[in-house]
Amino acid sequence: MATERVLTRNVGRASARTVRGYRESGGYEALARALKMQPEEIVEEVKKSGLRGRGGAGFPCGAKWSFVPRGAGRPKYIVCNADESEPGTFKDRLLMEHDPHQLIEGCVIAGKAVEANTTYIYIRGEYTQATRVLEEAIRDAYDQGVLGSSVLGSGFRHDVYVHRGAGAYICGEETGLLESLEGRRGQPRVKPPFPAVVGAFGAPTVINNVETLCCVTHILQRGADWFRAIGTDERNTGPKLYAISGHVERPGTYEYPIGVPFQELLDGCGGMYKGRALKAFIPGGASAPMLTAAERGIRMDFDTLAKAGSMLGSAAVIVMDETTCVVRAALRLARFFAHESCGQCTPCREGTNWMRIVLERIECGAGSESDVDLLAHVVPNVGGISLCALGDAAQGPVRSLVQKFGDEIRDNLRNHRYPLPRVPFFDLGAAS
Amino acid sequence: MPIVTIDDRTVEVPAGTNLIEAALEVGVQIPHYCYHPRLSVVGQCRMCMVEIQGMPKLQAACSTQVVKDGMVVRTASPQAAEAQRAIMEFLLINHPLDCPICDQAGECGLQDYSFKHGDSFSRFRFEEKRTYPHKERIPLGPTVLLNMNRCIHCTRCIRFTREVSRTSELSFFERGSHTEIGTVPGHPLDNPLATCVVDLCPVGALTSTRFRFAERVWYLDKKPSICAGCDVGCNVTLEHRRGAIRRYKPRLNPEVNDYWMCDHGRASHERYAELPRLSAPGLRREGTLQATGWRDALDALFQALRAKRADGATAILGSGFLSTEEAYLLRRLAAFVETPHLSFWVDSGAARHIPNPRGGITGHDAAPNRRGAELAGLRPGPGGIDAESLLLEEGAAGCATLFVADSDFGKAAHDPRVVERLRRARFLAVMGWADTPLARAADLVLPVATHAEREGTWINADGRLQRFERAFPAPAQCRPALDVLIDLLARFDPKWASANAAVVFDVMAEEIAALSGLRWAEIPATGAALAAAPAEAGA
Amino acid sequence: MSGSPAGPSRLPAEVLAGIEALRPRYPTEEALLLPALHLAQAANGGWLSHEVIEAVATLLNLPASSVGGVVSFYDMFHEHPVGRHRVRLCTNLSCQLRGADQLAGLLERELGVGPDEVTPDGRCSWVEFECLGSCDTAPMAMVDDDYHENLTPDRLRQILKGLA
Repeated sequence: MATERVLTRNVGRASARTVRGYRESGGYEALARALKMQPEEIVEEVKKSGLRGRGGAGFPCGAKWSFVPRGAGRPKYIVCNADESEPGTFKDRLLMEHDPHQLIEGCVIAGKAVEANTTYIYIRGEYTQATRVLEEAIRDAYDQGVLGSSVLGSGFRHDVYVHRGAGAYICGEETGLLESLEGRRGQPRVKPPFPAVVGAFGAPTVINNVETLCCVTHILQRGADWFRAIGTDERNTGPKLYAISGHVERPGTYEYPIGVPFQELLDGCGGMYKGRALKAFIPGGASAPMLTAAERGIRMDFDTLAKAGSMLGSAAVIVMDETTCVVRAALRLARFFAHESCGQCTPCREGTNWMRIVLERIECGAGSESDVDLLAHVVPNVGGISLCALGDAAQGPVRSLVQKFGDEIRDNLRNHRYPLPRVPFFDLGAAS
Repeated sequence: MPIVTIDDRTVEVPAGTNLIEAALEVGVQIPHYCYHPRLSVVGQCRMCMVEIQGMPKLQAACSTQVVKDGMVVRTASPQAAEAQRAIMEFLLINHPLDCPICDQAGECGLQDYSFKHGDSFSRFRFEEKRTYPHKERIPLGPTVLLNMNRCIHCTRCIRFTREVSRTSELSFFERGSHTEIGTVPGHPLDNPLATCVVDLCPVGALTSTRFRFAERVWYLDKKPSICAGCDVGCNVTLEHRRGAIRRYKPRLNPEVNDYWMCDHGRASHERYAELPRLSAPGLRREGTLQATGWRDALDALFQALRAKRADGATAILGSGFLSTEEAYLLRRLAAFVETPHLSFWVDSGAARHIPNPRGGITGHDAAPNRRGAELAGLRPGPGGIDAESLLLEEGAAGCATLFVADSDFGKAAHDPRVVERLRRARFLAVMGWADTPLARAADLVLPVATHAEREGTWINADGRLQRFERAFPAPAQCRPALDVLIDLLARFDPKWASANAAVVFDVMAEEIAALSGLRWAEIPATGAALAAAPAEAGA
Repeated sequence: MSGSPAGPSRLPAEVLAGIEALRPRYPTEEALLLPALHLAQAANGGWLSHEVIEAVATLLNLPASSVGGVVSFYDMFHEHPVGRHRVRLCTNLSCQLRGADQLAGLLERELGVGPDEVTPDGRCSWVEFECLGSCDTAPMAMVDDDYHENLTPDRLRQILKGLA
């Protein structure tokens, strides 16, 4: 059964990048409706929808909005987290480059819901094309009266500004993002207080992922009940974008009701690259613990994956076939986390580096079986007591490596097989 | 106020108190590095993780506040202890084993917590420690050196320069495990409070250029004292060995200097070692100063002070380094001698501001006790010769006897023109610890103790009276000036013979309104705030 | 070195104008820092010298150490000269699974310099970069401001040839 394209309905329609073209498929109807509602009503609708954050944490969006103190007359902010730096993730880029108004509309609705008059779209600095598209769409929106001192003539003021990051994964962490927005190193803050109470510039702030805000647009257009009916159950609702990459035939962004089984997702993108066997897959971005081929039937929603010891995260699916050295794969992610650790707290600063060193030792052939035990022992302390979730994230791949592939690694070590031969992707002998 | 239970001990604390402070109230020390009562809370070191009943994850004590009743905290449960052990392990994997050559040994946060909370072995055995090449001794500024390899990234130093000294020279640079502390070119760590970051640094990453390699701290004896560098009166711990001051460290007094002191103050004790010391009483006979005993010396001074008016004036000059009690005895001496020619000299110094929770104190004098000298009444009577006249004009020329009660009262004591003017007095008696040109020009020299070698009080720029105590005995034949003056006064009136600092203070307090109600034995540890401007004595 | 700070007038006029235009967007001056650094870097050949850092600090009334700390934190700000063209090759997992390591070797061979180094003629510098959010078109690289996707060794060679 073909999935209705909700979030991706305008992908391929270049005219949707203008206000006029966007309106042609029902755009800005949701906003018009929201402008006639009370802020609490909008929050209730989003709560009822069961929408959970699509940035990685999966926190209930309506609940987050309800933490913002009520009342107008003091600065409050919407911050759209467009930092999208989780390895394997590229869905927000698709949404921004192809359907900027879907996002803008969601931002203004969010603003109306918590009585905030300003949105900052914090977009990673490398997304130059998406930045251009957004800025042009925003200019058009101002010209058409969708943004500015009186949104759609309602008297509600809302401004949207694009603010570029400069290359730091940790700026995708909510308070790391706020620090960066405010002009500082992106070092996450101690919580509490949470951003809903003390956020950007000391003011109550809602921080939502791009895809989450795009869902808001559709919830206000078609209703919470419609949104809730899509997905696995009332804790895992709505349409979901899955970004699949690695050893598959057709990497790309695919829209499904949340909870699609991995095998169906794999089939939908042409199956394994060159028909090779599946060895392992990461279901939700680099932070998500790896799953093995034996788990290929798993439903890709928040709760099912959490119960299986992993996470949906950003729904970035990375597929690894039988030619992959899983140690080398985990090492690349360990290098990523060590590079991206902001460095302020002890367990992450020292622990990510230590994990990288031990994995390097194993991968290059200088390791021993005790290194596997060392990893198992050190890894739990990198997460759990770090200042922010990067410490927790960093241990994901390493912990699952040891859990799922520990025996294989020990066997390879015992038999001095590392480094495993690399199967080159490109045949450098032939012209390609 | 809410009640919190920490390790089975219950205490009531103001709402908003963090758990580290609350635990201190019941005698529990939660280990921590980045937390400091005067710096913003950053929760970075993760050393203070504690278990809170009802919360599955450990919480950082520094950033968890007691807000309502019923919080139950365990600081040493198996889970908390494992976290503390893990943090110690993480900190030590890249920390160089520098203890044998590191200043911090003996007062090191890593050493101390390693014993209490860490392992006795390392699991980091085959890897190379992360180092910062060429950053083992980087001068951050004129007074502070950085060894980046030793740094544990607690950011106390950075936050100090931003929040206390407000000079913002320090920052984090780079990211992840390459993160380092530093400055940018053209903006070195150079502010009056710069060395405070060395105090704050839990490890030997920041060392003082002044104290580097100077002493092993376990050889130092420690005495609470007060800095004599200016009239702020920063409370210090005077650390000494074998009769020499080796280091000042600031001592907490929220009413005066809080946790801080300035670099000028830290260096101020070096003067005691730089200038030569007077070691024995001396009397000039046949043109040269010859050593003599105390009794003969004081007899000679006694005689000289009672010189008849017809022969010329008798003048007494004090200084801002005298204790309040010594200054008071000088006034008593002037009364016995019936001379109106009583004064004191204090140099002005640079303005020195020390922050404290009440906005801070600014000192303007180059000596600690102008106000004590004023309060004790060291001013000329009607028609009296004042200090300017003595030092800058011809005042001494009309003196039969001039008693200068401090050989190092200021820069002028080293100025040959001033010495020459003072020398015009027929009989020049100089009391002091320093062997200055002035002392060498005198007819009578009385060697006395530095403030480290005697007890007394000083009154600071805020009008706060503070007591200092003797850290070690004066060398050779030097005696506290108070004892010398008591002996001298006893020659006028024997009842003075049994006096001591406490007696003198209590007598003085009876007489001077600003001190009424105070007793030597009851001067509070943080000092006594005197009412407004100290009232003039004898006015 | 001289301790005298560069004044705001040392920044090019269009950079100053660009920063001024952004002021109404933020309640604090400090929040202008990242946009200001992007503008200043683009106008300074793709990197931020001490003088430019000082000038930005003075303009925004920030301590120079803060600005220096920010510059060194972010991967897109460079404190040393870069090539006229900057190649950022993604070597994170999805790209690694599709041959990025081989392309890294190719870059080193073709350009004759290692990562973080500039070719002697100043034309080009390259780095390995973290995930650029284009995993469906792996392997890929960012060259100056543009993404070049679905790279093959030949395509990459062509791109390099086209860089003046």
